[in-house]
Amino acid sequence: MDSASGTNGNGSAGGKKGLGEVFVVTSGKGGVGKTTATASLGAALALKGKRVLVIDADIGLRNLDVILGLENRVVFNIVDVAKNICKGNQAIIKSKKSNNLYLLPASQTDEKDVISEEDVKSVVEQFRREFHFILIDCPAGIEQGFKNACAAAQKALVVTTPEVAAIRDADRVIGLLNARGIEPFLIVNRVDFDMVRRGDMLSVPDVQDILGIQLVGVVHRDENVIIAANCGEPVAYNIKSLAGQSFNRIASRLMGEAIPLDDEIQDGNFWGRLGRRLGVV
Amino acid sequence: MLAKLRQLIFGNGDSKSAAKSRLHFVLVQDRSGLTNEELAGFKKDLIDVIKKFFIIDDNGVEVAYQRDSGATTLLINSPVLRRRGGGAPASEAKAKVEAAQAAS
Repeated sequence: MDSASGTNGNGSAGGKKGLGEVFVVTSGKGGVGKTTATASLGAALALKGKRVLVIDADIGLRNLDVILGLENRVVFNIVDVAKNICKGNQAIIKSKKSNNLYLLPASQTDEKDVISEEDVKSVVEQFRREFHFILIDCPAGIEQGFKNACAAAQKALVVTTPEVAAIRDADRVIGLLNARGIEPFLIVNRVDFDMVRRGDMLSVPDVQDILGIQLVGVVHRDENVIIAANCGEPVAYNIKSLAGQSFNRIASRLMGEAIPLDDEIQDGNFWGRLGRRLGVV
Repeated sequence: MLAKLRQLIFGNGDSKSAAKSRLHFVLVQDRSGLTNEELAGFKKDLIDVIKKFFIIDDNGVEVAYQRDSGATTLLINSPVLRRRGGGAPASEAKAKVEAAQAAS
């Protein structure tokens, strides 16, 4: 995805006129890994020198703060910014691990319709000059919360797992994104390649065929995701984990690097798999 | 137990095919926005039209919605057994009717 951003690693913000690129991370179905993906891609992009703001648009059910380990630093939230109760830079929280990564939390006590699409647009607009990337973690569903999360986005990362229900919902969301002129890119999460080989899980090409949008990454099913969430550290920081490596590769692709997907789709060769299984690699 | 061992070594699961065909079915409904009944009616009308010109296997007719870069294509796949009116048999031929593109 060469059009995804500026090609340099540390220069001006990606996109035109120094404005950051705005991605919505969405899926339709809940529990497929949107928040994990948002946190880890944010962390990975920040590691690569980009200034990143992750926004939790799941008002009433905020979670991005705990995945990033920032839950005890939350003072203001996106609703406060939208309602001019505080300034934008008072509400964003710097990550513990990186000076480049910031979080704008959701409100936990409001309803989803307390802010409008226009509110979200104006909030995001405030930050676009300061960040290379803005990733918006979308709530599950396709109602007001989804519309709000999409309001300011130019591109979408559609997260799905190789399961019937998740793919069906992803398909629905892709239709809605197309109708809004938001370009969707696919992340297939929680792939168990042993099950794929056994014929008991849809393969990545299967999922890609069905959904018909460009693939940006494949994430292995990996227990390190849960361990990382337990500790409040995005799994992208664990570069020994398969999921961490996957998210780092996706981040590079978002920055415009051409990293081949073939190996990921096929799960590498026999020796690589054996090595991984034995814990050598 | 032997079966389990065999499955462990070679793998013989095939639930993926079930997932694929079920998704195929459900996505035709979702993407077209037609109800079950409407879809059945649509398929029946299609079959009637094709039957005016060809002798076909009614059960072999498949309707699919395929998405490529923003547009959705309606694919109708029908095995043609023979042309109506005594033409040469076209037993292996498959008539593929690609209908108009509809914006998703």
